[in-house]
Parts: sequence; C-alpha cells; structure tokens
Amino acid sequence: MATERRAEVTWSGDLLGGSGTIERVGTGAFGPLPITWKDRAEEPGGNTSPEELLAAAHAACFSMALSGALARAGHVPESLSTTATVTFVPGTGITKSVIDVEGNVRGLDDAGFREAAEAAKENCPVSQALKGNVELSVISKLTS
Amino acid sequence: MPRVSREAEVIWEGSSAKGRGALTAASSGAFAGLPFSEPARIGDPEGQTSPEELIAAAHAACFGMSLAAELTRAKAPPERLTVRAEVVIDEVEGGNHRIVSSALTARARSRIGKDEFRAAADAADAGCPVSALIRGSATVSVDAALEQEVV
Repeated sequence: MATERRAEVTWSGDLLGGSGTIERVGTGAFGPLPITWKDRAEEPGGNTSPEELLAAAHAACFSMALSGALARAGHVPESLSTTATVTFVPGTGITKSVIDVEGNVRGLDDAGFREAAEAAKENCPVSQALKGNVELSVISKLTS
Repeated sequence: MPRVSREAEVIWEGSSAKGRGALTAASSGAFAGLPFSEPARIGDPEGQTSPEELIAAAHAACFGMSLAAELTRAKAPPERLTVRAEVVIDEVEGGNHRIVSSALTARARSRIGKDEFRAAADAADAGCPVSALIRGSATVSVDAALEQEVV
C-alpha cells in the first residue's frame, strides 16, 4: 500500500536576500519553520535546512530499520541513540550521510550489533533513496 | 565553497512495530523531541512526522531556493513562490518499502515570460541537490507554473 506525505514551502525574493517558510506538513507535526540561504550554507542560526531535514529523515528511518532487524533476531532494543550528519557542498551537492548509533541491547555482542547496523544502513528506505549519490557510513557501539 | 554539515538526533525505544522514537534537529534546534513510529509512518499519521514527510519538506525547501536563484539569474526574483512536495513510499517486491516518487508543484508570482519561467524551473530541478538525490532511485516530477497562467 502506498503512503503519501506532503509539505508546503513558500519563498519571497532572491536566494541570498530572500527568505522562506516551511509552512506546513501533512501531519501537522511541525511548522511554520523559517528558512534562509545563509542559515543553510553558513551557520544555522536556529533555522532548519534541507540537509538537516534529510539528516532527520535518515536518522529516523535507520533507527526503525535497526530496531526491526534486532527485534526479528530476538533482541528488542531497550534504546537506540542515533545521530545522522549530512554534508552539503554548495555547488557540488549533498555528498555524505554518516550515522552514529549507540545501542542498549541485551544479549548481543559488538559484532552482532555492528552487523545489524550495517544491514540497516544498506536497507532502510531513506538509505536506498540516497545510495549511489551519497556516501553512506555507520559507526556503531553498544553501551551495555 | 566550504562544506556544510547538519545533524539530527533520534532516541528510539523498543521494537519497530511497537516502539517509538523522538527526533531533534540537533544543528539548528528548529524542532526537538518530535514523536514518530512505524505504524504512523505507513498508516494513519496521528499527527506524527515520518522520514518521508521530512524528505518532502527538504525537497520543497531545496527546490524553492533553487527556483528563487534561477529566477533571480533571469532578472525576475520572485515576489512569492509556493512549492508543495508529495513523497510516496510503497511496498515493492519482497515486501520491502521503497521511496518511489517525489512530486513537486510550484506556483510563482514573478515578472517573467512563460518560456523563460519554464527554463528557470527546469534549471532549478537540475540544480537542486535533493532532486538529484531522489532521482537516483525514484521519480521526480515538477509541475511549475506562473500564478497568472493558472488563475
């Protein structure tokens, strides 16, 4: 079954001096959020950007895929703490997404956790969408 | 140009089917602790965001900035752009889910001719890094028009 998700953005003015707003998303989960080029390409100044939203999408997708794989192997995680860092080179494009995950998972050794994290990095739908264009990597560690 | 990095953080507890996550925009602080879960991702969202919604927001924001840049290059910076993105995730062979498409709809208020606008919209799609990413594995479509064309 297909699932659609939507967002609406407005923008006024040129790229460097203008500004925009992520007005709303279909679920109502966030917005309105202001966006500017300066906040995207320099310091974020409290405002999100396409790359931060991609990092959020990737961290969320990866965490769900990893929890699913761990649960299927009989190791439902107590908790996973995941950071995704997306790199953008203006003029070149989005080049990299690095996942860093720490897991509190009982009955699993480091090698088993690393293997599950690598598989989630390969298979989660956002990874699948980014793969080929973007370098993907994962750093994983068990905390218990 | 320097490299720019942006980070987001997730805390997840439990299995994918019954667990839940909280999502924070770590670089900007623009949002924090947004709940998400697998059932809300594929079914009724119940007010929860999802990876696909975040990609829709990223794509609409990226395309809006690219189109503003292209219209400015054509000496017609937009008075206002409205960009909507709809991202679809679907089950594919083997029962896995894949992001299959992102459809952009853009409406512009700008002092520019129709043909020049079309060229600017094509260039914006070609230049938007998020379009380039999605196009690697899914369909990107662009329906762009001047407001005076559609009124």
